[in-house]
Amino acid sequence: MSMIRPLSALSLVAASALVLAGCASQNDAEAAAGGDAPAGADETIEFTFENNIAGEDEEPEYESVTVNVPKDPENVVIFDMASLDTWGSLGGAPVVGAPLDSVPDYLADFVADDAINAGTLFEADLLEIEAAQPDLIIVAGRSATLYDDLREIAPTVNLSSEGSFEETLERNTTFLGEVLGAEDEAATALADIEAQLAEVRELTAEIETGLSVMVSGDSLSALKPANGDYSGRNLRGGLVYDLFGVAPITDDIEAATHGEPISFEFLTEFDPEYLFVTDRNAATNEEGAQSADVVLDNDIVHETTAWKNDNIVYLDPTAWYIVFGGLQTTQIMIDDITAGVA
Amino acid sequence: MRKTLTAPTSTPAPARTRRTWVGVLIGAALVALAAVSLLIGASNDVSVSSLAKGDGDALFLLAASRIPRTVSLVLVGASLGIAGLIMQMLVRNKFVEPSTTGVTEFAVLGMLIALVFWPGMPILPRMAFISLFALAGTWIFLRIIRFVPVRTLVLVPLVGIMLGGVVGAATTFFAYRLDLLQSLGQWSQGSFATVMRGRYEFLWVAVVMVVIAWLAADRFSVIGLGEEFATNLGLDFRRVVAIGMIIVAVITACVLVTAGVLPFLGLVVPNIVSLIIGDNVRRAIPWVAGLGSVFVVACDIIARVVRFPYEIPLSVVVGIVGAGLFLWLLLRRRGRVH
Repeated sequence: MSMIRPLSALSLVAASALVLAGCASQNDAEAAAGGDAPAGADETIEFTFENNIAGEDEEPEYESVTVNVPKDPENVVIFDMASLDTWGSLGGAPVVGAPLDSVPDYLADFVADDAINAGTLFEADLLEIEAAQPDLIIVAGRSATLYDDLREIAPTVNLSSEGSFEETLERNTTFLGEVLGAEDEAATALADIEAQLAEVRELTAEIETGLSVMVSGDSLSALKPANGDYSGRNLRGGLVYDLFGVAPITDDIEAATHGEPISFEFLTEFDPEYLFVTDRNAATNEEGAQSADVVLDNDIVHETTAWKNDNIVYLDPTAWYIVFGGLQTTQIMIDDITAGVA
Repeated sequence: MRKTLTAPTSTPAPARTRRTWVGVLIGAALVALAAVSLLIGASNDVSVSSLAKGDGDALFLLAASRIPRTVSLVLVGASLGIAGLIMQMLVRNKFVEPSTTGVTEFAVLGMLIALVFWPGMPILPRMAFISLFALAGTWIFLRIIRFVPVRTLVLVPLVGIMLGGVVGAATTFFAYRLDLLQSLGQWSQGSFATVMRGRYEFLWVAVVMVVIAWLAADRFSVIGLGEEFATNLGLDFRRVVAIGMIIVAVITACVLVTAGVLPFLGLVVPNIVSLIIGDNVRRAIPWVAGLGSVFVVACDIIARVVRFPYEIPLSVVVGIVGAGLFLWLLLRRRGRVH
């Protein structure tokens, strides 16, 4: 189950290929208003993205897809939590369908009270969605494979990562801003996040070394910096290094969705100054609560520099593991790192 | 039977010395592998010279991490081998062990249920709960086997594997519905990467089971000859079977909770021992325990070294090596009588 499809070299072009298309009357209106066109019923935005047409577990193969997206759509179904986050943060109307079981509390307001359960993060309930008659469907990452089925129902866009985290965030925020006619809000939010990121990177520049680990069950795995390969398996934990500028304790970590298994001894041997912990137990099983701190509270970890200096940073599991993307979530991630290293 | 009658008169002495030598060899291999296991790990602090100097960090890691890991490997190897041996006596079939009879799958189902309903359950009650599921699994398997008309050598484990498949599918379905698929995989995947002081001690429960197995060894030999034969010898057949079932269930649960699922081990080890010294349970137990330990310690060393300083899951190594040996045993036998 790969998460977000890797980027092709051309995707940056696609990211910038966001254009407003319109009929003649719209152009007239635009000319008259000297700016944004008022939302019209049949007004659409052309959006181009790289769609992976290779099957699951195969070498990705990309095809450029252009979709005409209706402006100001009323009934929207969103599978991707990061897109839901950005959609709602830019003032989009509560969506009529989403994988309800996976919507984190802080995004609950972005879903309509009577919204249908569209499926899971990976699967779609096609009948329910068909019945809801959506104007627009958004998939990304985990749900990207649903694209072919969903496009039969309504205009569907795949907002899977293209390029680095920041590039994807910028492309998606700009696009959703245009769909919602909230271009200014989108630009402001992006500028704000950029400024905050710059501040956090100043903080992390003072850290010598860090290691990002994931705790699942009782076991421990090390997460890898992307080193330019921004495919899904490098995301999440890799963001500690790639987005927030923490220097990894070692570059030799194999890319794997859930990291590479390590022993506690690994921590004493490499002994990073900071340890960034994603608690998969808590991310997927709320009743299990924060158990990563129990797993890490042992004799061997007590010997590490990170433990002695109280430099073990627990990352918000929902934000870092489930959502990782979107405006509010990125804010949570920024706050996590700021609080952790300040 | 005929063989044991004729063996003492024909070639007693050479066979016995050969056995003794293989026994010594297993013992030596275990000691050597255990020593290697103590010296290998992500940390480079532990070495022969640092230990000789009495280096504090080295001694700490040795006590907190290396010794617990090696001891638990030995215990798991020994007890899983014994569980397989007992299972084979109960069913009178050479190709059964917890993972080919559905017992492991029942235990995993028990683990999932414990995980869902009582996520904060302490380890000992959880182990008891899982043991109950493993016990139910053993019982159901034994019941089903009774109704199998032709008990050919491979049909019995085939039935067991199918039973395990059904239970495993049910477990996967519920895990899928509850979004616990990945957690379940993580929990049941066999690995000793995070074993350390304070996290392996309940494996001694499995050792208690091994001791019981050893005390009752002769009875298991006898029930291995069949219900009628055992009853004629004045043995309470049902009670011995019940004890055997409990031993298998508790060992399966202990290992599952500590390390996860390690397939084929209980099958391969007793078969190899039986090739060397025959089917006497009392005599086989130390051999099975020793060879099981050698097998697990060796596989874990491979798991630690392949991607050093990271680890690959032990169950992967055990699966590959075990499956190879399993095939060898299977094909080798078919060439003969059956």
